[in-house]
Amino acid sequence: MTAATIGHASATTKHKHASSSLWAENLSSLWFLLPIIIVFSILTLIPLVQSFFYSLTDYDGYSTTFNFVGVSNYVAIFKDPSLLSALGFTLLYAFATTLLVTCFAIPLAVTLNKAMWGRSFARSLFFFLGVPAQAIIGLIWQYIFSPLGSGVMNKVLAVFGIPNVPWLADDNWARFCVIFVAVWMQVGWHATLYLAYLQTIPADLYEQARVDGANSRQQFFHITLPQLIPGIVVSMFLLMTGGLKIYDLPYTLTGGGPGYSTNTLSQAIILKGIGQSQYGLGSALSVLFTLACIIVIAAQTGIANAVEKRFQ
Amino acid sequence: MTPSQRELVKKIIRTIVVLALALICAVPLYYVLISSFKTSIDMIKNPLGLPARWTFDNYKEAFADGTIVRAFINTLIVTVVAVALQVLIGSMAAFGVIYKKSKFTAIVGGVLMVTFAIPAQATMLPLYRMESDFGLVDSLLGLIVLYMGSSVFCYFLIVGYMKSLPQELFEAAKIDGAGPWRIYYRIVLPLITPILTTVVVFQVMGTWNDFLLPSVFLSSTENQTVVLQVYNAVQQFSTNWPLFMTITVLALVPVFIFFCFCQKWIVSGLVAGSVKG
Repeated sequence: MTAATIGHASATTKHKHASSSLWAENLSSLWFLLPIIIVFSILTLIPLVQSFFYSLTDYDGYSTTFNFVGVSNYVAIFKDPSLLSALGFTLLYAFATTLLVTCFAIPLAVTLNKAMWGRSFARSLFFFLGVPAQAIIGLIWQYIFSPLGSGVMNKVLAVFGIPNVPWLADDNWARFCVIFVAVWMQVGWHATLYLAYLQTIPADLYEQARVDGANSRQQFFHITLPQLIPGIVVSMFLLMTGGLKIYDLPYTLTGGGPGYSTNTLSQAIILKGIGQSQYGLGSALSVLFTLACIIVIAAQTGIANAVEKRFQ
Repeated sequence: MTPSQRELVKKIIRTIVVLALALICAVPLYYVLISSFKTSIDMIKNPLGLPARWTFDNYKEAFADGTIVRAFINTLIVTVVAVALQVLIGSMAAFGVIYKKSKFTAIVGGVLMVTFAIPAQATMLPLYRMESDFGLVDSLLGLIVLYMGSSVFCYFLIVGYMKSLPQELFEAAKIDGAGPWRIYYRIVLPLITPILTTVVVFQVMGTWNDFLLPSVFLSSTENQTVVLQVYNAVQQFSTNWPLFMTITVLALVPVFIFFCFCQKWIVSGLVAGSVKG
């Protein structure tokens, strides 16, 4: 407190004596910040403003003229079945993968943190599944689920006498497949994140609990889980933001189909805005998408802060 | 059973269960690898077994027209240039914010924070138009420009680490007459090498693996990145599955090698990124 006051006082006197050098310092920090300001303006700020502007027009992407059409693009979004389907599946994907990955990754991390043979091999293997490009993983699984000769999934099931499943040809199975592959891919990645948090839990907490006669289930729910809360917050945040932005995996696995059942918002923006020259509609979708991301992230941050406070 | 015997039994069961699960999860990767050494007929007749006769024809065919080599070179160029610029811009911004705290730097920091929530897809349509105005669509340079946007992510990871540097360090250097560029280059950069390595490893992965931007912005074969090449291989060799599997293996080999060398840094990146949240 005192030190801070003194520091503040000396800063004020310095300010009077050396305002010109201070100005020079401000200028130098401007030079350091200039590149990121340029990048931000060109790649984020200007495009966002443009998206908002064109979302109010009937612009097609290449004509020289366009008309203002008010909010009719926004109204059109809620009347277009392909877009409603994209919205629905994107939300389903984001929530389902967030929940499922969390439910599998925590027990996996706890198990991988215990003594066993081949532990670092198993850790690396689970972790590696999350490293290749989602697009490549999507393509690999497309072959595995395929009804053609490469469709090894149905062949394996046939060995157990299970009839062929129309994995990617049925709406609900296709949704299941996309989410299944996403979970398969990401569980190990998030388990690795949890492992890092598990290793920071002080061992004497467990020591104490054992002395008090707590069994391993009680230890998990009363020590491990509460101590993991910061990790859970981070992991779910990453899953949720990544889930809302999903594009690669459904696009390569199902192409958004059958019909529009696994269409995503990202795919819809690209298709409308670039593929179908409905630039205004695509822009309106971009604006809504940005708002949705900001709202979900803000809500999640709020909930996370409340939960964290309760457990501290 | 004594407690130590019980521990041993538990350990054995745990080992069996976890390794079995790990191997089941790895089957798709095994399937891709093993299929790349088979003929089409062998692959259909015997999908999961070892090849009846090991063949390397798929690999010869994959390299035959040279597009895969071209794709590797393209991806390498884009990744190296983009990541170098991202880390440079990100670390400069972080230094600017830390070095001199003022209203201006606080505002910049706050604005960048909000940017974090804005998805790349939301700015893609205007960026596509902008790049086509400048003739940057379907060029590696255009792709690199777009990847500059990730500088903001680099900034976040680096600024979190830089905050832990003692402020006296800057004061002492200033008294010795060092200017801000000298302090940035000679003192700060060497001190933050751990986070720089982490950021580089993370960004290399993200850029190398990206599909969204190449699939929208690149169209000609000679500009393809590796991931795009694999995607196009599906259409190109529609039923020549072993060839597709071979190209996939070729695309995964560098990723696997990278993973083996950088696993430690990927983990530290996960943790560093999570501290910033």
